[in-house]
Amino acid sequence: MTPIAAAPVKYAGRSYIAECALVMGLYVAAVWVRPWLIAHAANHDLALAAMVAPAVPIWLMLGVVWRYYRRIDEYEQKKLLETLAIAFGIGSCLIVTYSFLADAGLPQLAITWAWPTLAVSWGLTTAIRSLADRT
Amino acid sequence: MKNSLPDLRGQRGMTQGDLADALNVSRQTVNALETGRYDPSLPLAFAIAKLFKCKIEDIFSPK
Repeated sequence: MTPIAAAPVKYAGRSYIAECALVMGLYVAAVWVRPWLIAHAANHDLALAAMVAPAVPIWLMLGVVWRYYRRIDEYEQKKLLETLAIAFGIGSCLIVTYSFLADAGLPQLAITWAWPTLAVSWGLTTAIRSLADRT
Repeated sequence: MKNSLPDLRGQRGMTQGDLADALNVSRQTVNALETGRYDPSLPLAFAIAKLFKCKIEDIFSPK
């Protein structure tokens, strides 16, 4: 697949980190102001909008990853897809395993823990892959 | 596949970074190509051949 324009591939990482930081900043801000917005919402619709506000940056993150994918070269694209597939496979197995453990008595966790679980799994898989790539 | 990329690059006094810049790929990609961990797509193989002014089969060959 042709990358976005002919932008130098070596700057893709920097742009990705900058966009990630912006979107994560939005996420933290949305989570932080969410209780206040819900408490002060003028009506039910605004309260509902405030409740789902942190989900917006999560969706934006999909766009950030897609833009990064389009900027990198073919080998980096292959590595990214492999890493995502392995990480989300492991993360999904962890989530399902914990759900059975919760039935057996461990604390019931909210479904919102699924995203951090997948994100941590992705981060660890990326780090391991990067280390393996250096050898 | 095996390839003669390190030799061709060395003959021209290029670093992996120089080659990466010339091909608009990352240095890690050049390293993966040279060590045989990654076989390039046809467009990238053609770009490499064009850069070194030779045929693809002069650079890449089956193991």
